[in-house]
Amino acid sequence: MNPAVLTVRNLSVQTASGPGQRPAADHVSFELRQGEVLALVGESGCGKTKTAEAIMGLLSPDRWKVTADEIRLEGTELTRLTPREAGRIRGSEISMVFQEPLTALDPVFTCGYQLCSVFRRHRGMGRRESRESSLAMFGRVGFSDPERTFNSYPHQLSGGMRQRVMIAMAMACRPAVLIADEPTTALDVTTQAQVLAQLVELGRAYGTAILLITHDLGVVAQYANRALVMSGGKIVENARVDELFDRPRHPATVTLLSHAAGAVN
Amino acid sequence: MNFALRKLAHGGLLILGVTLISFSLMVWFGPDQTYSLVGKNASAEQIAEIRKQLGYDQPFIERYVSYLTDLFTLNLGASNSSGEAVSNILKKTIPVTIQLMIPGFILGNLLGIALGLLATYRKGRWIDRLINGFSVTSMSISFLVVIIFLQVFLCTPYGLNLFPVRGWQVTGLSSYLLYVTVPTLSLVFITVGYNTRFYRAVFVEEAGKDHIRTARAFGASPASILWRHVLKNSLVPITTRFMFSIPLIVVSGSLLIESYFGIPGIGKVTFDAITNGDQPVLKAVVGLTAVAFIFIQVLTDMIYKLIDPRIA
Amino acid sequence: MGSDLRLWGQLRADKAGMAGLLVVAAYFLLAVGVWAGMLGQDWSSAGGDRWASPGAEAWFGTNLLGQDIFQRSIYSVRTAFEIGLVVSVLSTLLGAILGAVAGWYGKTWVDGSVLWLAGVLDSIPFYLFVAAVAFALQGKPWAMHVAMVATFWTGTGRLVRAEVMKIKSREFILSARAIGLPDLVILARHVLPNTGHILLIQASIVFVAAIKTEVILSFLGLGVQDGVSWGLMLAESTQEVLAGHFNNFIAASAMLFVLLMGFNQLSDALQDAFDPREAAL
Ligand SMILES: Nc1ncnc2c1ncn2[C@@H]1O[C@H](COP(=O)(O)OP(=O)(O)OP(=O)(O)O)[C@@H](O)[C@H]1O
Ligand SMILES: [Mg+2]
Repeated sequence: MNPAVLTVRNLSVQTASGPGQRPAADHVSFELRQGEVLALVGESGCGKTKTAEAIMGLLSPDRWKVTADEIRLEGTELTRLTPREAGRIRGSEISMVFQEPLTALDPVFTCGYQLCSVFRRHRGMGRRESRESSLAMFGRVGFSDPERTFNSYPHQLSGGMRQRVMIAMAMACRPAVLIADEPTTALDVTTQAQVLAQLVELGRAYGTAILLITHDLGVVAQYANRALVMSGGKIVENARVDELFDRPRHPATVTLLSHAAGAVN
Repeated sequence: MNFALRKLAHGGLLILGVTLISFSLMVWFGPDQTYSLVGKNASAEQIAEIRKQLGYDQPFIERYVSYLTDLFTLNLGASNSSGEAVSNILKKTIPVTIQLMIPGFILGNLLGIALGLLATYRKGRWIDRLINGFSVTSMSISFLVVIIFLQVFLCTPYGLNLFPVRGWQVTGLSSYLLYVTVPTLSLVFITVGYNTRFYRAVFVEEAGKDHIRTARAFGASPASILWRHVLKNSLVPITTRFMFSIPLIVVSGSLLIESYFGIPGIGKVTFDAITNGDQPVLKAVVGLTAVAFIFIQVLTDMIYKLIDPRIA
Repeated sequence: MGSDLRLWGQLRADKAGMAGLLVVAAYFLLAVGVWAGMLGQDWSSAGGDRWASPGAEAWFGTNLLGQDIFQRSIYSVRTAFEIGLVVSVLSTLLGAILGAVAGWYGKTWVDGSVLWLAGVLDSIPFYLFVAAVAFALQGKPWAMHVAMVATFWTGTGRLVRAEVMKIKSREFILSARAIGLPDLVILARHVLPNTGHILLIQASIVFVAAIKTEVILSFLGLGVQDGVSWGLMLAESTQEVLAGHFNNFIAASAMLFVLLMGFNQLSDALQDAFDPREAAL
């Protein structure tokens, strides 16, 4: 078994204002191992995005209370980093692709500028060098005319293209871990398959472990090695994908499976 | 093309409305000048003659149409009270007002933007609360109180006695600074509260957008997020506020400052014209303000296109 | 009802807002005292020495006519509340009606006309407009009120219009229309009550604006015609301060500042309570 690149132990997320409410994530623990694709599945609103954002350190402390015994990325304990150190790791060692391609890119900068700034920040590249790397990266995620993509604003691209720009940004520094939050939910079916295939292939090529958040069990079956099932903020099942489909143990898993079957029929 | 036409029609309707309302108020219902122009013991014929000269004997529509015609042919006439050509008066006074208002207007906005950014950066912390307290305080103090206080504090022996009490004898840079400082400080203090509030609300809203989370996920520092992503995405509302307060600040704001400090700018001239019923001057000021509004709208639309790639 | 209670609870928890409410209530009591003839009645008699220092006779000293500054600043509370209440109630009402009609008939010529009127009023420099109204209604003591109401409604109007457009497409309105209730009934019974929070907040904002505007107008000679107000006291003081007499200035500015501060805090608290969006970000 490969060693763990990301270890999460007892991660809880609550709103800072109402600690009485049900937590968005409740003592979540799991390990993500080198080179694997780990799926995180669960019904809408069960806390998948909040878990991911908490790992990335994106939840602002005046709104959310995040507690964890351990969030370790390779050798580094993320909960103990200063903001500056965390900024150096985010986007280079661990990065994230977001659920909504429509709003996740800054509308007033070109896609090229946004990718370049990742290279500049984390690789210390200058203007020319970051431009060349960006063009190469756009080519790598399947743009036939990288030059054109470079100069486009997000609103000029289709949803699938925007999501590919996001993937290019997320994979630019060959991170150890990528969290992909329902990267294709907002896309049509053919684009979904292309974008996912691209993402997984790139992960394999770069040796990046992927935490793939989804509620599509077809996606899980096709791409993931293991799956976590989340329900009401808790991880209720943690199993190899084949086991999950053959012998679901938790009612939430059964529900998910029956929905998936219903969707197919 | 269609869009440009609609803009033009919109502007035309706005000018029509502004002139109609101002004309009704200032000319039709405004002060009657007959008796200040005829001598004592004038005969009925003399009075009728004057009224005819002033156009008082004509029906509303005709007077309004001739008012519009005068405005668009830039036939501004001469002031009733001083006899000076209105275009001359404008040429003399508008530059004074611009010199007087520009520093305070720009500083008030820049300070508002800076404080708004700082408050957003430290949202919910004590410095945000301090800035908010300062804004509310500034919003709770009357313009007149600020002017009186600054005048006493800076211009009289009861305070520091650094600047002239009133007037505008500007001959060069040093005299300009001497006369412009106190009005500028007043304007800054009075606008900074509202500006800070407005800009903070804009920045906080922008800072909550999804793409800001993306920038953070890719390791951007808070300073670069604020400076690059938040500020640049806020340029449209900033421009709108900045541009559309120009005519209001220039006319309304200068009216009080100029009356108080006895500065011969467009605000004072306008105010005197209202109180004297000096219609040619009023026509010119109101008409020009309306035109300035339209001009600013067009200019603002052009600026939008420069700063926001989504606006084609 | 339940939501009213929740809002009240939220307001109660807002310390600055509660302090503001207390200040406003205290001023209101003063105003009631003046109305009832118990306070500040001696504001116009010019008996004493001019520019007397504060003392047992006149607590805040006297002005250049020998009038008691304390009595005048107390009486001015009533003036301020009269102006604030009249202008805020009427302009909010006007804004509610015009905004609701515009929103209900959204994107038609009715809507267009209301927007046009608001646009026109917003593009006439405000003090110019007030001055013109004051002159058109020469000598009428309520010229100032008319001018303020005529211009202050536009903000409320736009907000109500937007809200009504939003409400209009909601389910319960659609069903009310489906069972054939007349437009006016739906507007009055189902739509306008849902804009209550906007109206309350706008009224508090306009109240502050009206009192501040009165000061400027009184200085320009277009404001309070008979009686006394903080604006008139400040206008008087513009001459006095240059001769070193500050009592009038200090009394009027302090009374004005405390009330405006209280009102602004209250207004902020109302906005936070009704619209927790920003607070929640
Ligand atoms: N801004 C917010 N304020 C308050 N509660 C929130 C907020 N965002 C999410 N929540 C709550 O947190 C819980 C978890 O939300 P989260 O976005 O993580 O769900 P999710 O599993 O990603 O769902 P989806 O599949 O729809 O994306 C939800 O129950 C939601 O009610
Ligand atoms: Mg989600």
